Parts: sequence; structure tokens; C-alpha cells
Amino acid sequence: MNKLKSASDLEELRKRILSGRDPKKPCITVCSGTGCQATGCEKVSAAFQEELKNQKSSDKVDIRRTGCHGFCEKGPVVIIYPGEICYLQVRPEDTSDIVTQTMMEGEIVDRLLYVDPTTGERIVHESEIPFYKNQKRLLLGNNRKIDPKSIDDYIALNGYSALAKTLSSLTPEQVLEEVKKSNLRGRGGAGFPAGRKWETTRNAPGDQKYVIVNCDEGDPGAYMDRSLMEGNPHMVLEGLIIGAYAIGAHEGFIYVRQEYPLAVTNTASAIRQCEEYGLLGENILGSGFDFKIKIHRGAGAFVSGESSALMSAIEGRVGEPRPKYVHISVKGVWDKPSNLNNVETWATVPFIITNGSDWFNSMGTKGSKGTKIFSLVGKVNNTGLVEVPMGMTLREIITKIGGGIPNGRKFKAVQTGGPSGGCIPEKFLDLPVDFDELAKVGSMMGSGGMIVMDEDTCMVDTAKYFTGFLADESCGKCIPCREGLRQMYKILTAVTAGKATQDDIKRLEDLSEVVRDASLCALGQTSPNPVLSTLRYFRDEYDAHIKGSCPAKVCKDLVTYYIDPEKCQACGLCLKNCPVGAISGKKEVVHVIDPEKCIKCDTCFEVCPDKFNAVAKISGEAVPPAVPQGTKVKRKR
Amino acid sequence: MDMEKSKSKYVGVRITDKQASVLSRLQKDSKLSKTEILLQGLDFLDEFYSLGLDKQPLSEELSALENEALHHAAELKRVRRREEAIREMVRELRNVDEIVDKYQCDKSAAIQILLDLQAKNHWLPRHALMWVSERLDIPMSQILHLATFYKTFYLKPRGKHLVTVCLGTACHVRGGPRILDRAERVLGIKAGETTEDLKFTLESVNCLGCCALGPVIVVDGSYHGKMSSSKVEKVLSSCT
Repeated sequence: MNKLKSASDLEELRKRILSGRDPKKPCITVCSGTGCQATGCEKVSAAFQEELKNQKSSDKVDIRRTGCHGFCEKGPVVIIYPGEICYLQVRPEDTSDIVTQTMMEGEIVDRLLYVDPTTGERIVHESEIPFYKNQKRLLLGNNRKIDPKSIDDYIALNGYSALAKTLSSLTPEQVLEEVKKSNLRGRGGAGFPAGRKWETTRNAPGDQKYVIVNCDEGDPGAYMDRSLMEGNPHMVLEGLIIGAYAIGAHEGFIYVRQEYPLAVTNTASAIRQCEEYGLLGENILGSGFDFKIKIHRGAGAFVSGESSALMSAIEGRVGEPRPKYVHISVKGVWDKPSNLNNVETWATVPFIITNGSDWFNSMGTKGSKGTKIFSLVGKVNNTGLVEVPMGMTLREIITKIGGGIPNGRKFKAVQTGGPSGGCIPEKFLDLPVDFDELAKVGSMMGSGGMIVMDEDTCMVDTAKYFTGFLADESCGKCIPCREGLRQMYKILTAVTAGKATQDDIKRLEDLSEVVRDASLCALGQTSPNPVLSTLRYFRDEYDAHIKGSCPAKVCKDLVTYYIDPEKCQACGLCLKNCPVGAISGKKEVVHVIDPEKCIKCDTCFEVCPDKFNAVAKISGEAVPPAVPQGTKVKRKR
Repeated sequence: MDMEKSKSKYVGVRITDKQASVLSRLQKDSKLSKTEILLQGLDFLDEFYSLGLDKQPLSEELSALENEALHHAAELKRVRRREEAIREMVRELRNVDEIVDKYQCDKSAAIQILLDLQAKNHWLPRHALMWVSERLDIPMSQILHLATFYKTFYLKPRGKHLVTVCLGTACHVRGGPRILDRAERVLGIKAGETTEDLKFTLESVNCLGCCALGPVIVVDGSYHGKMSSSKVEKVLSSCT
């Protein structure tokens, strides 16, 4: 491969790639994001290859392994082109039907289509499925069209044209101006205007400057950065190179978590391809601009995602935060000016350059422009990655795209912003989602995790979960965070055990304030958010725990398991599955749980058939006395 | 001596079957020739006589001889094991060298070097860490700081099978902790521990990013989604 020497070289290459491709040639795309890998896309794709070989049509059909489509709930996702027929939850044994019926005969395999749960209608095209229909998939859209290991796929879809435009016709000042005008705010959580950050680094004294991609996505329940890095790494690289040009940096780092092995591999291969094509290295596209990128793998520490900690890690030291008397934009990696942005932020840059800041400003709300990817997870029907314009309401996201709460349960709260975010109750569901609105109700945008909770979720337990997580991840450098969180966790544990008093709650509030005000970095400063927001909106649950009951029946110490003798049909399932032999009973005789032996593992509750529904969890009420040994079951008629 | 009862074999001298089996065992353990062992026996007897122990019946002497030979053999094995262990260590240190050279002794690559080493070895033995410290000229205390700060690094050997229970938020609200409880009960270890027979290592993680499947348990890289505590045992018993 000869290196591309100018923007027109790239244009010619694009034409060559496109002319070599027949848009009518059938193509099977198999989603190979981590979600689909977990559901077995490897086997599905192998089965397709095998099936095509058997039908002797391997050369007539392309198979493409693409990045994450986002609809992880229904994975593995397969799309057949041309026609964009979308099959969901495809298993290896379905592949022969797809090949013989759809590929050969052009018929649709009905059973693999999406079924609208409300109308019962089957939907053929991906874009018409409600989950996708209500999204605006700017960044995620190309994930389903390209093989992340192929730079040609990206170039075919106008990839690197923004870079070519930048290097051939724009000055760094013009790029900076455009990004500033677009009002792009950092997608990593804090929402700091990206243009202003770039400007600070650009104007900081010194020749050696760095640009950094933060892909240390540690928030539990959030995986949009991974999906972009795995599914479309070139988009992030293109944004990074444009940013480096604007800032005047000649070296960049991509910080990826070691826990995302696929993202590491795909990024490394993307960098290699760029170097081969002359899109990285010296004199990029003949512009005289030099730039190189190194990958730094993170070794698993939540706090290392904090900007100053991340830079320490890049220097090869322990990833602990440091005080920012001088901002890292001015003194970052090796005390050189360094600009750090999140994956999503960098990935948005090429779109702004191509379409202009006015176009970008046409999407979103007053203070937050463009689109944002959320990972919609928890107690919601359609789990997955959703990309919507800023300003869509929480209700729309959860009901229209997410398909509501499963099993007819009632919505309780949605947790946004990761461990440092807050829980938002139902009364704020019509809140437009943007950086400022979320902050007003005591939560935050964070990196975009959105965890839906229903009435079976205990809010005190949730606060305890996040506090425990943060206490565990606290690096221990500053005392308020290290000791404060530990004490808060202790108090929360006492609350969930029913051993706390109102004084403890007061102490919890006091501690929260100290930790918030006195911690060194953002991890500590925002760590009381889960406690403060649940105290603010779900105080009644704290009070209930103090009185000895857990309304959601989650906290083990406050729950008793009981078999209703009126309902028990002596099927023996609970008895067989109880790991500690706490259940006694026999054929035709009502089963009884021995509370002394019961470890409250929930197994009996789980296995009791829905039609009997005899196992009950009781909290805060008196447990009915056990029936006498040998009581016969009452048969249902 | 029940020389009369059993058939004799000729190995320079005539011995019984029982003695032959002892001899072959000694041979196997010590890698000496039959003659050498017999001569050793004579030397030993000589020593016994010189100590005035010749009054004991021959069978007792022979069993004493056997014990002594076994002891020597065990000693020999231990030496060999030690040699092997040293060879193993040298091999590991060469691995370190290879990795450190790949990064051109760059101090800032310390974390990357430890990651590569961990990937190759599955855990970080102390001598390897000391060698990293030596090669990079970074104090051992700092290397240990890195190795204990990050979750990816292990300072103890890990089990053959890795069981990971996801405790991310999405899995948490769907009952992840109950899955972990059950896995701990079934394996008899706590999260972060390894069974004594080095068969299983159990650990919890804070999100695997396949929240649609929650709660999730991963055994040796294969995902088991939508778990319930009653299914845990079955999943774990699938690996032997």
C-alpha cells in the first residue's frame, strides 16, 4: 500500500474501494460486539460460513462481522443486505433457514423477526423497530455497517474526509473556532466545553503537547465508549488527529482498559492501518503535520479514569489523582500541556468538521448540543445502547425506546451518572436530559449510564452498593474520601440490617457533606451523591428500614421467607433446590421453611412455579405461625 | 528369610522376587545400576558391622537398607526439584527480559510490562517483580505499589478455572449478589480466593458490559446469562 500523499489521493482511494464493491451483492452482517459475543455470535458466524460453503455460494455472499448494534437484549443481531432484513436472537441452527430461504429465495424467516410487544406486528427492517426508530444514531449508526478491522470499510463511508478537509483547507485556528462555536461539551461526565479546553492547551507555553483519549470506562452499567472503540475505532482516531492538529500536539495517547481486550485489539489494528495508509506518522496527507499515537492499557482501577490520575498512569506511575493547582490542560503528562477528552467527544469531532457547527447546534437543548449515547440497563425491557438528541425526556427514553419495565412492575427510579450520580424518582421523568437539568435534580450526566429500577429495588441497598463500590475504589490518598466513605458504608450496612437510628441518618448527612467538600478529586467530591439523592427522594425507605422493614424486600436481614400453606401444592421444587436443607415436607404435605436454617438465598422464591406462587417474602410484618407438621395440601380446583 | 518359598532370579547374585521388586524401585528412584545399588548395600552393611550392629537378622538389615536408599532417593528428587524450580525461575526471568526489552527499558512502560507479564504467566511471582525492578531501575516498593494498586494484577497463583460473577449495577439490581453468595457456598471460598487444589478462582467484577444478560457469571470465558442462584451449581459442575 502506497502512502496517501494528499486529500485527492484519499478521494481516489475511496472511489477505487467503492467501484470494487457491488451494492447489490448480498451481505450478511453479524453483530460482534461484546454483548452479542456473550450470546454466541461466534458460533452463528461460523455456522453461516459453513452453510454457505455447503450451498457452494461462499463467493456470492459476503459475511461481515460488525461492531455493536446496541440492541443487546435481542442479540445476536443479524442483518441481511440488500433489503436490511433484521433477524434477532439468531442461533446457529437458524442459519440454514436464513441462507436457503432469505439468501436463495428472497423470503423472510418470520420467526426471527422483531415482534412489537403491543401490536404483535412483525417488523422486517431494523430502522422500523421502535427501539431504533426513536433514536438518532449519529455516532453509533455506522457501527452496523463496518467491520472495525477494515479501514477500507470506514473510508468507503466517507471516513477520514473530515481529516482531509481539515488538513487541506483549514488552519488550526479555524478548526478550534468551529469546535468552540459548536458548543460541544465533554461527554466524559463533567460536560466542560471541549473548545475551551482545547484552546487552553493550545495557548499553554511549550512545544511538546499531548492529546489523550480517555477510554477508561469504569462506571458499572455503562459501555458506550467500549462499543465505539470496538466497533468504529477509526472515527475516534480521526477526531483525535483533527484535535491534535488544532491544538498543536504531535503525540497522542489512547488509554483503554485492559478489561476491554477487543477494544485494545481493534484500536491497535486501526492505528497500524492508519500508519500504513499515511494517515498517521510524518507529513500526514502531504500537509506537513506529524502525529503519532500510543496505546496505554489501564490495569483496572476506577480512579484512574480521573484526568490527573490517568496522566500519572501514562507516565508509568500508580494512577492516583494529584492536586490540580495548575490545570492539566497546562501541566499534564510529564508536566506538559495535555488535552484529555472522552471517546465520545473525540468521535463527535469529525461530524462537526464535516457538517459545520450550525448543524450541530440544531440538535439538543440550549446548554447541551448534539446527541448523547446512554446505556439503558437494569429493569427495562430493551436493554442496550441508545443514542438520542440531548433534551429527550427520561420518560421517552425509558418507555418509547426501552419498552418500559418488564413483568408489569412499577417504575421506582432511574439512576444516571454512574456511581457518582443520583437516583431520579418518577416525578422528574419528564425532565429533558441534558447536563444542566440532571444536575438540578441532584444527579449528573456522567458518562451516560442509565439504570432503571423498579419497585423490587431497594433504594437504601442501592446507596449502599454505590458507596461500597466507591469505598473499594478510593485510592486512599486523601482522608475524607478514604475514611469518610468507609464510615458511610458502615452506617448504611447498619441501616440495611435494621440496626440504625435516626441519629445515624443525621451522621450520614454530615459525613456526606464533609466528603463532598474536602476530598481531593472528583471521585470523592461526588461520592456522596447516591446517598444524598436517595435521602432526598426516598427518605421514607430509610425510615422504614430503621423501623425494621425493607419495602422492596431486598435487605436479607429484614426479610423472612414463608410458604403460604393455602397455596403450597407440595411440588417439592423448593425442597429439592434448597442448598441448606431448611425446607421440610413430603408428597401431599405442605412444605415448611425452618427459619433457623434458612440463609435467605432466594432460591425457593425463584423456583416456586408462578402458577402456585406460594413462597412469600415478609418484611416488617409478623410472620404467620408455622402450620403443624403433616398438614395436607389444599388442592386447587 | 523365605528364600526357599519363592523363586530366585539371577542378577549376579540370586535374590527373591520381593528383593527384586525392592531393587527395581530403588533403581527407579535413584537412577543407579543394579550392581551399584547392591554394592552400596554392601558398603552399608560394612558400616553396620563396624558399628557392631551385625547381630541383627538380615531381613531387618535389608529393610534398614531400603529405608536408607529411599531417603537418598528422596533427597535426590528434592535436589532435582530444586534444580527444576531454579530452571523455571530462569525461564520466567528470561520472559521478563524479553518483555522489558520490547519496551526498551522504558520506565513509563512499567504498567504495560506488568500487564504483559501477567498475561503470559497469569500471576506475578516475586522474583519476577524483583527482576523488573532491577531492570527498570525502579525501587521494588514502587513496583509493589503498582502491583497491588491495580485489580488486574495477582501476587498469588490462580486456579485452573476462573469464575467471574458480575456485580455491576445492572446485575446488582437483578440479583447478582445472590449469585455470588451461591457460588461462594458451592466452591467453599470467598470472592477473590482460590481453592486449595488450585482448581477454581472466584472473583467478582464491577461490570462486564453485557448488562442485557444480567445477572451474569463467566466461567473460563464463556458467559452464562440470566442466571438464578439455583442454576449456579450446574454451571460450575460443568467444568472439571
